[in-house]
Amino acid sequence: MTKKLFSLLAILIVAAMVLGACAPAATPTAAPVEPTAVPTEAPPEPTEVPTEVPPEPTEPPATEPPATEPPAVFKACQVTDTGGIDDKSFNATAWKGVEEAMAEFGIEGKYLESQQQTDYEKNLKAFVDEGCNIIITVGFLLGDATAAASTTYPDMMFSIVDYAYDPVLPNVLGQVFTTDEAAFLAGYAAAGMTKTGKVATFGGIQIPTVTVFMDGFALGVQYYNQQKGTAVEVLGWDPATQTGSFTGNFESKEDGRTLGLSFIDEGADIIMPVAGPVGEGTAAAVKERGNAWVIGVDADWYETVPDYKDIVLTSVLKNMNITTKGAIQAAMEGTFAGGVIVGTLENGGVGLAPFHDADSLVPAELKAELETIAAEIIAGNIPTSP
Amino acid sequence: MAPVLELKGITKRFPGVLANDHIDLTLEEGQIHALLGENGAGKTTLMNILYGLYQPDEGEIWVQGKQIKVHSPSDAIASGIGMVHQHFMLIPVFTVTENVMLGDEDVRAGGILDRKTVAAKIRQISEQYNLQVDPDAYVEDLPVGVQQRVEIIKLLYREADILILDEPSAVLTPQEVEELIKIMRSLVEKGKSIIFITHKLKEVLEIADQITVIRRGKVVGATTPQEADQNQLAEMMVGRQVDLEVDKEPGRPGQRVLEVKDLMVLDDRHQLAVDGVSFEVMEGEVLGIAGVQGNGQTELVEAITGLRLSTSGKIVITDEDLTNSTPRQITEQGVAHVPEDRQKDGLVLPFPVADNLILNTYYQAPFSKGVVLQADKILENANQLIKDFDIRTPGAMTKAGALSGGNQQKVIVAREFSRPIKLLVASQPTRGLDVGSIEYIHRRIIEKRDQGTAILLVSTELDEIMGLSDRIAVMYRGKIVDVMPAQAVTKEQVGLLMAGITQPAA
Amino acid sequence: MTNEKSNPKEGPPKQSASEIFLEEISKPPPKQRSRWRGIGQAIAIPALAVFTGLLLGAVFIVLTSESFYAAWSISPIAGLKEAWDIVVTAYSALFVGAIGSPKEIISAIINLDPEALREALYPLTESLVAATPYIFGGLSVALGFRVGLFNIGAEGQIFMGAIFAAFVGYSITGLPALIHIPLTFLAGALGGAFWGFIPGWLKAKTGAHEVINTIMLNYIAFRLSDYLLTGPMQRPDSFNPVSPTIMDSAKLTRFFDDPIRLHLGFIIALGMAWLVWWFLFKTEWGFYLRSVGANLHAARYAGMNVPLAIILGMTLAGALAGMAGGNEVLGVNYNLAMAFSSGYGFDSIAIALMGKSHPLGVVLAALLFGALRNGATSMMLATGIPIDIISIVQAFVLVFVAAPAIIRTIYRLKPPPEGEEGIMVSSWGGD
Repeated sequence: MTKKLFSLLAILIVAAMVLGACAPAATPTAAPVEPTAVPTEAPPEPTEVPTEVPPEPTEPPATEPPATEPPAVFKACQVTDTGGIDDKSFNATAWKGVEEAMAEFGIEGKYLESQQQTDYEKNLKAFVDEGCNIIITVGFLLGDATAAASTTYPDMMFSIVDYAYDPVLPNVLGQVFTTDEAAFLAGYAAAGMTKTGKVATFGGIQIPTVTVFMDGFALGVQYYNQQKGTAVEVLGWDPATQTGSFTGNFESKEDGRTLGLSFIDEGADIIMPVAGPVGEGTAAAVKERGNAWVIGVDADWYETVPDYKDIVLTSVLKNMNITTKGAIQAAMEGTFAGGVIVGTLENGGVGLAPFHDADSLVPAELKAELETIAAEIIAGNIPTSP
Repeated sequence: MAPVLELKGITKRFPGVLANDHIDLTLEEGQIHALLGENGAGKTTLMNILYGLYQPDEGEIWVQGKQIKVHSPSDAIASGIGMVHQHFMLIPVFTVTENVMLGDEDVRAGGILDRKTVAAKIRQISEQYNLQVDPDAYVEDLPVGVQQRVEIIKLLYREADILILDEPSAVLTPQEVEELIKIMRSLVEKGKSIIFITHKLKEVLEIADQITVIRRGKVVGATTPQEADQNQLAEMMVGRQVDLEVDKEPGRPGQRVLEVKDLMVLDDRHQLAVDGVSFEVMEGEVLGIAGVQGNGQTELVEAITGLRLSTSGKIVITDEDLTNSTPRQITEQGVAHVPEDRQKDGLVLPFPVADNLILNTYYQAPFSKGVVLQADKILENANQLIKDFDIRTPGAMTKAGALSGGNQQKVIVAREFSRPIKLLVASQPTRGLDVGSIEYIHRRIIEKRDQGTAILLVSTELDEIMGLSDRIAVMYRGKIVDVMPAQAVTKEQVGLLMAGITQPAA
Repeated sequence: MTNEKSNPKEGPPKQSASEIFLEEISKPPPKQRSRWRGIGQAIAIPALAVFTGLLLGAVFIVLTSESFYAAWSISPIAGLKEAWDIVVTAYSALFVGAIGSPKEIISAIINLDPEALREALYPLTESLVAATPYIFGGLSVALGFRVGLFNIGAEGQIFMGAIFAAFVGYSITGLPALIHIPLTFLAGALGGAFWGFIPGWLKAKTGAHEVINTIMLNYIAFRLSDYLLTGPMQRPDSFNPVSPTIMDSAKLTRFFDDPIRLHLGFIIALGMAWLVWWFLFKTEWGFYLRSVGANLHAARYAGMNVPLAIILGMTLAGALAGMAGGNEVLGVNYNLAMAFSSGYGFDSIAIALMGKSHPLGVVLAALLFGALRNGATSMMLATGIPIDIISIVQAFVLVFVAAPAIIRTIYRLKPPPEGEEGIMVSSWGGD
């Protein structure tokens, strides 16, 4: 008796929930109806990241309309490395790309966090079994596992963030970034903004994806010195010898704070930490002393670390979300091909974030120079790596 | 007038055991009531019921003519019942005052502890009962006897009228026992009433007003010191005739087995504990080392058995210089050791009895073959020894920790006595044991002596030394002050030497 | 008789509560307890701890689920119904992910379809793969406990084992698998043993506490692996901190075709569990080490060399942990990459505790946690519940196993007959 009543109630509730759940679901299904608008809708984002983007957005809308009986929704699935989805670094940024794709194209996005190296293979298989259309993997740690999976599942599309294969794999799109180009601009800006004549950078662990920032930054400063006849000094990295300061990890904010304080004590007033969350410690040190700036990396720290927005001069952007979204879009549109996409200054894959609150402090002249230099870099006239 | 405390028909069952079987007990005001019984007789269970740690299955508790229910120690204290446990509940790094306040803090405004008032009250209690406790002393600096008095003060501070003292003399030196007895007298004079749990007959006869004897959870007798003597009490406790005097022939000393020469040993704090000691022990004799606890006996024994390095001097066992050898080398020379602290040193309590019986021979045949332990041989050995040494245990695989103190000691004795030995070093072999076990261990030691083993007996129990030794050495402040034939001295003479008083004509 | 002062904290006697009890039960010999009852007792607490841990995990799942709040705002009944649905969905996904779908397994068997059978059994075998390092790690910590040592350093030893195994695995070429596999596996054990020997030796010679030293050595191992992977052991054609792939001849044999990854390591782990059991309980060396662990005073009294036991205990514990590291490199990953293990060593402590430091218990606990970890992926896939929930469940289980009084209170169990918990705990501190 009561059991019946309960089931009835339950059914009613479930029905209500299903109906309720349908409401938000309706919006994305509506969105792809005008997919032609999508690429143009996001003007600051150069969505034509894929190597060749013949805009053929006819397929998706054709399949989408009978959305009342949910057809095979396009699934973009991301396997994180052991850093987890909320690493405030490439896992998070790549996931942002998936989320943007979800919002824009009305697709389904999923992610699996890996806790151990052994999970990579397992999670990749789980997504294949799940019927994902494209699998995004993140970071060099997944390099081997992604390559292996691409052979096991030749029909699956993969895209790996911050990694590339040589020779290329037919069904894996590597995403790499010329971060040095953006870091070069940051270095130039730092050299133009320093009052003490000393700027600093340091890394988490000495690996290429880290040192590429530091190279660009140091060369940017050097370029400024060349142009202006100044002698701004870079602490923490020597591009010629490839030696410098590293915390030895990507976790300890305390290490970042200590290193930040010692740089400030040595006279640096602008610091660029290239060490993930460690950099937050440096920001804290800068805030503590109050006489210096930090330059963020990967994402725009003004937005991602709002606690410190008043001391963020600018950020070196590595827009993995844009390349990730691009890969998803290419997969949806049937233009996906294995290879490498390079996020550059030119295609917006990397860039310098706005100065935000510091904007009024930056001389218009410096801003103009930065724009010129950016154009020169794109044109290939200024080398940004040693 | 109603008695201060009455227990009526208290019954407590544990799985498979009737721990208390309709026990009645009446405590009159201003009296000392001794509760006498062997270990495991049910004394402690009864007192824990009274103190609220256990709930009785049947029976009633009456205080001052009113029935009370005791669900927790705080109920007991509210009814004026306080208990001093065998193991003190003091925090060593706190002062006496702080320990007394603990759990009953007097607090001034602002949450500040009011140490002064408490200290004053402690001082007053201390004077009133002649306890001589300094409220500001740190507990860790106090001798055991004084720590016990701190426990008593805790109860008096909480205005307890009925004091339960659980085996209070077990941890004390003879002098401290004397003082305790005085304090107990002064407490009852001032109107307190005491339940005194013990298995030491002499103390009972000396101080008790009433005696209740329990055995196997039942009251087997109620008497007074005037009506009973030691032998009767012992018989009631154990349930059979007990020989309190050790029956023995005079020893027949043979070859020298142990020679200790000019031995110097440091204690844990690097103080000289054994100061140039020399003596010998012969085959077939018992050399008893008397002395108050803490005069270097422990360190001496440890040096002989290899547990502590000596700084100078020599230890020779059957012509072999074993100075600073390892315990194993010494054991293999035929030395057996019954350690002072049986639970800490003598046994691995979580291990079964069978394993404890091979603790120092496990690597030898027949217990080990190659590296593989021979379970059947180990069990066989255990069953044999359990039978031979009358170890009361549910089985050979019962954990040693589950046995009573007496039976634990029997396990050690069985292990040490069952292999061929030339020298037995027995340190406090009967400490904390009940009458039956004491009698048994004493008999075994003399038996071993009669088989020609040299025996070094170290004890703080003067009666034990007097009863077993052929020769007696007295240790005082790290030195042996005298060695004399046992027949030639009286207890009083040895007692004086133990206290450091050397007289010309001993 | 009036007493204003209420509730002075006269707690029950510290250790004497059990002593008293022992005293009371010892004299009249009670009936010999049946062996089975003892085993039942031993299993009851961990089983209930797991159950309670899952229950509390369910509470967390519900409380962190938005749909629950949405339903609750409609009506409490709707909320409860939703909560029930969430938990059922999540835990059935967990179960299927860990064990496999019974339906698929049966149908595959009936149809004699080997491929379908492989697919159906894949979750189960993945659980075994996940459990394998836990078995080694759990044995390591358990062996430490038995010798009275708290090996927090399993994580570092795992890293060292992995480094050694990876090096021998890729650098030595031209060996037949029959030689290369044992060689690399032993190299892993050796690496861990070396890392266990150091704190053991320090403790034996200087009294330095192994807890502190193993923690420190963990960090050294992590940084050492970072250094090696960005330097000497870095893959020649790569700029990333990954070692070269090990030779095929060093890879632990897999028993089935893809996708089943179950490999020889699992069998070795079971073999090691048996060996550890045999060593501890059947040999004189085990007797010696256990005696030192249970009461080092008595062990010394009985002529045992206590410092040697400490060194030996830590070294063997290290070797077992090193095997966990080697196993991962040789059985699953085929290379060593930065941060390859995040927490096997620490989970191993939980597993050893849950397994009551008994090899059989360790194997069971490891299988359980392997299954939970593996099933969590499916749960995440099906419901989006983060894998971290399993860590929460695991933490609860650990709390309950370490403090069985909680479980006993919740389920009104009788206290243990012989104060066995105390013995367990006394072997913790290591001195």
